[in-house]
Amino acid sequence: MSREIVIDPITRLEGHGKIHVFLDDAGDVDRAYLQIPELRGFEKFAQGRRAEDMPQITSRICGVCPMAHHMAATKALDDLFKVDPPAAAKKIRELVYSAFMFEDHALHFFFLGGPDFLVGPAAPKAERNILGVIGRVGLEVGKEVIGVRQQLRALIGQTAGKVIHPVFGLPGGLSRPLDPELQQEFAAAAARAVEFGKFALGVFRDVVLRTPEFVEMVTAEAYTHRTYCMGLVDQADKVTFYEGTLRVVDPEGREFLRCDPREYLAHIAEHVEPWSYMKFTFLKEVGWKGFTDGMESGVYSVAPLARLNASEGMATSFAEEAYEELVSTLGGKPVHHTLANHWARIIELVYAAERMAELAADPEILDSQVRTLPTAVPVEGIGVVEAPRGTLIHHYCTDSRGLITRANLIVATQNNAARIAMSVDKAARALIKGGEVDDALLNQVEMAFRAYDPCLGCATHSLPGQMPLIIAIHDPGGGVVREIRRD
Amino acid sequence: MRTLILGLGNELAGDDAAGLLVARALREELAGRADVVESSLSGLALLEIFVGYDRAVVVDSVRTGRNPPGTITELALADVGRVSAPSLHHTGLPEVAAMAERLGLRFPAETRVLALEVVDPYTIGAELSEPVAATLGPLARRVRDQVERWAEQDGARARRRADGTRRIGARGERSCTTTAPSEPSSSG
Repeated sequence: MSREIVIDPITRLEGHGKIHVFLDDAGDVDRAYLQIPELRGFEKFAQGRRAEDMPQITSRICGVCPMAHHMAATKALDDLFKVDPPAAAKKIRELVYSAFMFEDHALHFFFLGGPDFLVGPAAPKAERNILGVIGRVGLEVGKEVIGVRQQLRALIGQTAGKVIHPVFGLPGGLSRPLDPELQQEFAAAAARAVEFGKFALGVFRDVVLRTPEFVEMVTAEAYTHRTYCMGLVDQADKVTFYEGTLRVVDPEGREFLRCDPREYLAHIAEHVEPWSYMKFTFLKEVGWKGFTDGMESGVYSVAPLARLNASEGMATSFAEEAYEELVSTLGGKPVHHTLANHWARIIELVYAAERMAELAADPEILDSQVRTLPTAVPVEGIGVVEAPRGTLIHHYCTDSRGLITRANLIVATQNNAARIAMSVDKAARALIKGGEVDDALLNQVEMAFRAYDPCLGCATHSLPGQMPLIIAIHDPGGGVVREIRRD
Repeated sequence: MRTLILGLGNELAGDDAAGLLVARALREELAGRADVVESSLSGLALLEIFVGYDRAVVVDSVRTGRNPPGTITELALADVGRVSAPSLHHTGLPEVAAMAERLGLRFPAETRVLALEVVDPYTIGAELSEPVAATLGPLARRVRDQVERWAEQDGARARRRADGTRRIGARGERSCTTTAPSEPSSSG
């Protein structure tokens, strides 16, 4: 017999996250988890369509990270048609992708995660919102976040055709070379972004790191899971977003796996739970041992902190400095404290800005040769990028005419789903005792999974509304005894 | 006065396309009177779309389970909710508006939200459900009516302004006297 608490979003106005908390006879938490509804039917929808349409189709799946899907799909087409894009095409793709990573991370760091650490959980509830963040960092900073994002999004739009649904990626390259004027504008925007990144790091140091309570909160056991970590790395084992080797480190930080990302199926398997649409990915070689951490559990983590753990640092100078500071402040690698994702995110933001500056300054990026025409008969293609929220995998099989026969996507949040479930469970356990359910649960539980920036957005773009979350508490018989909603 | 019609949705996901389809259907008809924009974005990412407009109509699908499919619910921004702690990507419209105001950005002073109760907004490749398909016309009409109401208000305001101009120095209404183009001397 157990009771269950459900945090359910009922309406699209409120979003889609749903948390269930099952209580045991003593009123303590037996099991808690986050349920994330997903779009259904993608595979069926894709079947019979032209593979070349996938970058456009998949970018429409999600209103949050269309560029990540566009890029993973485009790379899958390179692989499908066995064609290697010219250097300039790869550089332009990475330039645009870095701009996208920057603007996405900037949004989350300041306005979505900001209330948790720039304002802080101890601040009055009325201040724990975007306006509180602006109050803390100042109006000018708020305007600069909007301004720099706006500038980058305009450049992404001009380069990729459309900012929301990019159209520039083709198998073997791009639809057009980079205009020299745009290159100059990218260079200027990148310089601004680098300054902004350095400034954001400064804000983090001043507002957060000098607050002992924050460091205590970050390192608290309640927000710590010792899992495997996954990410793409470059030839020097540094973090890379666009292209690299898939690397996994074990909970002790030792390299566990290094492979061509196209071999993902040999290493990643999916576990299904009756209570979720989500398929929980895990490391095949370790095996599924349930929602638990440690060396024996195949659960792994992706997203900013996992990328830092899975790498040997950052490829650019300011980001590398910031990386070293994180590692030394938090007691060495690997860092398993979920809330440190916010810090890792700002370090990645700096890297994205610096990488943009490098690419924009590269004369080769203006080369007019941006397409290698595909000639191979298509069979199977896999494309992998690091999306803002972690490793994103697109996998297509086609017939000889290039029509999709099978399509599989593993999205970043899916890679993180098991660990997110563990975080929700741990937070709920810490807060619910003897049947007493504190309303603070909502916020504490949210903090646990907000650090991952999980994408519930694949189906959700609904504009109005407040919280995407309702908590339902179920009794030992499964009945809902209480719902906590933010109204 | 600049007017924005914003259709939200995911055109691949069954009923979720409703907002986009309504916007698309109105684009030509409303040309010159309102800018019609389709978007699949959410939360703060929408801020840039709103900035620069004086008023807006947002058309989106909603699944509350509390109303029959095809029900249109109209909300003013104030009805949508107060500013609360944001979550995930779901910074809501009130937060977007509050933030724009705090940052001194030009944001619509009036925003109407038309929410259409749908059946299934989650299945990629699904057809529109019957009740939703049948409501697209009425929903478009609601948007058109709103645009016309605003146009009438503008006309009335312009007439009052003209009237105030003719009777300058008499008992002009506040809205006239402050905006009447016949009073440039006040800034000189």
